[in-house]
Amino acid sequence: MNLTAHTTSVAETIVFAVLSAGVLLGGLLTITRRNPVSAVMSLVLTFAALAGLFATLSAHFLAVLQVLVYAGAIMVLFVFVVMMVNRQEPTPIARQGLVTRAAGVLAAGYVFYRAAWLVGHERTMPLLATSAKPPVKDFGTVSSVGALLFSDFLFPFEAISLLLLVAVIGGVMLTRHVREGSSSRVS
Amino acid sequence: MPTYAYILVSLALFFVGTAGVFLRRNALIVLMSVELQLAAGTLALLAFSRALGDQKGHVFAFFVMALAAAEAAVGLAIVVSVFRTHRTTSLDQVNVLKG
Repeated sequence: MNLTAHTTSVAETIVFAVLSAGVLLGGLLTITRRNPVSAVMSLVLTFAALAGLFATLSAHFLAVLQVLVYAGAIMVLFVFVVMMVNRQEPTPIARQGLVTRAAGVLAAGYVFYRAAWLVGHERTMPLLATSAKPPVKDFGTVSSVGALLFSDFLFPFEAISLLLLVAVIGGVMLTRHVREGSSSRVS
Repeated sequence: MPTYAYILVSLALFFVGTAGVFLRRNALIVLMSVELQLAAGTLALLAFSRALGDQKGHVFAFFVMALAAAEAAVGLAIVVSVFRTHRTTSLDQVNVLKG
């Protein structure tokens, strides 16, 4: 663990404030927009700002992946599905069962408030207070994370590729258009 | 920035995602909220990874990202499939399995 003292510069604080404000604003816009296209665009904002936050954590590889995978691939997928099934909701929040849902949100809010309070209370403990860069030289680069991925985590890596294959086949099977006279009965 | 600031942002983002899952009834927006929750988890993993100086957190964040891609693919396929049969993406109207 790296516990060397590291003073946070003003520029660092400003970058962090702007990026985390972008993340939270994008998240709030995502769950409040009535039009799904606006929600997807807000989600892109969230993920772009989150990639910036990853970069400030010296996670360069993950920052690039975040932009490529989330802001690129997954968002394109969402936009395509929104184009196919675009239906605006009459009201953004359902009235049916609203009390139950609001109770759920309040309970979740209380849990997260307590967790945030705990983190704020324990912020002087070494693990939470450190802001220094890790001592490892090429921390978070493609080569060092990739080396770890192909040595210690080779089996999980192959398992996740199998999971992606299953997801691809499942996606194709679920959305395959079956004609009336066709013999295969999938859907 | 110290680690706890990142953890607070991660908690807030996870709460926003949870609120979206609870409150919205459009299946697409609920899926997006789940993506927000997964992203919040990734942020916490990377923050603790830096605090500990251990890159295993990056590997797990990578796995979470792959998992999110798989989840989005299958989830959106189910949304499209439900839309074909029910002509709706509202979760309140998809209640065939309700007892």
